[in-house]
Amino acid sequence: MSDLYANAIGHWVVVVVAMLILFFVVLTATAYTVWFERVALGRIQRRPGPNRVGPFGLLQLAADGIKAAFKESIVPTKTEHVLFVVAPCIAVAAAFLSWAVIPIGLWYNVTYWIADINIGILLVFAFSSLNVYAIFLGGYASNNKYSLLGGMRAAAQLISYEVALGLSLVPTFMIVGSLRLRDIVGYTVSWGPYHGPIPLILLTPIGFVIYLTAAVAETNRAPFDLPEAEQELIGGFLTEYTGLKFIMYYLAEYVNMITVSALAVLLFFGGWYLWFVPPVLAFLFKVVLLLFLYIWLRGTFPRLRYDMLMRLGWKVLLPLGIVNVIVTGVILVATQG
Amino acid sequence: MAIAIFFIAAALAVAGGIGVIAFRQPLRSVLSLVVVMIALSILFLLLSAQFVFVAQIIVYAGAVMVLFLFVIALLGPAKEIGKGRLRFQPWLSALFVLALFGLLWAMLQGVQYRQPEQADLSTFGTVQSIGIGLFTKYLYPFELTSILLLVAAIGAIYLSRREGDDR
Repeated sequence: MSDLYANAIGHWVVVVVAMLILFFVVLTATAYTVWFERVALGRIQRRPGPNRVGPFGLLQLAADGIKAAFKESIVPTKTEHVLFVVAPCIAVAAAFLSWAVIPIGLWYNVTYWIADINIGILLVFAFSSLNVYAIFLGGYASNNKYSLLGGMRAAAQLISYEVALGLSLVPTFMIVGSLRLRDIVGYTVSWGPYHGPIPLILLTPIGFVIYLTAAVAETNRAPFDLPEAEQELIGGFLTEYTGLKFIMYYLAEYVNMITVSALAVLLFFGGWYLWFVPPVLAFLFKVVLLLFLYIWLRGTFPRLRYDMLMRLGWKVLLPLGIVNVIVTGVILVATQG
Repeated sequence: MAIAIFFIAAALAVAGGIGVIAFRQPLRSVLSLVVVMIALSILFLLLSAQFVFVAQIIVYAGAVMVLFLFVIALLGPAKEIGKGRLRFQPWLSALFVLALFGLLWAMLQGVQYRQPEQADLSTFGTVQSIGIGLFTKYLYPFELTSILLLVAAIGAIYLSRREGDDR
């Protein structure tokens, strides 16, 4: 493997194959996340959920996808035609690009990654910040006041919570001393007889709480799904979208959900290290647990009002994040001298 | 490979720059400016300035331009304002263009005001090297900039406050 990386052409072959595999895996995972969500939500609401297509309803998403693909592709008149089509493409592209820097431990000494770069996690933020354009332009191009309102809400929400999201991770960087995701996962401590990797949530529990809240808001998920609040905005920026273009937004939302869960696992739960469990299974297990937490939140909490959302972002999460950074800095200086 | 990427990014940047002034719809101008920002970030990456690349995307493409979009969408699909003739601006812009081409010509002739500093390419452009630079060598300019930004923020809040709004 390392010989292949040294060779220029071999490097490209490895990267291209890795990207294709990644694309396939993430797409499949997305489909089953949707299935998982629908079943879990069904159980929370005391109904069976999808169970007709295939065993346990597992083929439901394939059926839905085929149905959407064969729907007529409608671009309403009086919309901004080019932007209307480009906006969902931006959403999908931004969602998948983040996976370029996410490493996954496959076996005990085999780690998979496409790009292992110095700025690591900042790149994920950069691509997720492009997601604003997808939602905002989709809302603007639809030439519909509900869509525009949804787009505006989304833009304000994403900008507000991006700050808290970034601040929540600063203590982690300060402890590890690197932005490279592999370094963060591989962070080891020597506590008495124990020497090995630890889940960083033990050192930055407040950082995790802020990250989780901000991440739910960043991915427009309930209880922060105001951009598509159906009672007041019909479907928000999604109102005019049908068929494949709708599916692209839908796909991007679930890919983003998996991305933030995977990042949380890498940053706070020790990545693919879990006792003697094979790394790839440990990683999957932790990601599925976090995804379930997401779905649980959706099934439990009512949607926030818009001013509550903004107040939470600017007056609670942001000051908390700054205090967290300062406290971590003081403790680090005190313990390391 | 790098040359090909450079020319693609440079062409995108120029096309976006033309788009900013050529489009009559403000929203399209803003989107052209976003294209310019992203093309510039690619050029930074080619110069192995990784951190500047990410900062360019997060700050300019991700935050500043979104605020531009916000303002334009709030104002509605407004017609281009300012039908009046430009008085002295054409002459001024001609002056700036001349200065720019003069500088370009000087650069092509190999004129350098200062030798570029020797940079260690293994750490150049990384987060660590920029952080160390900001908090040691350039600490005072850095802190002064933060005060400047604070003043700007306070000024914006003061100006946007309505008359008699004492809360």
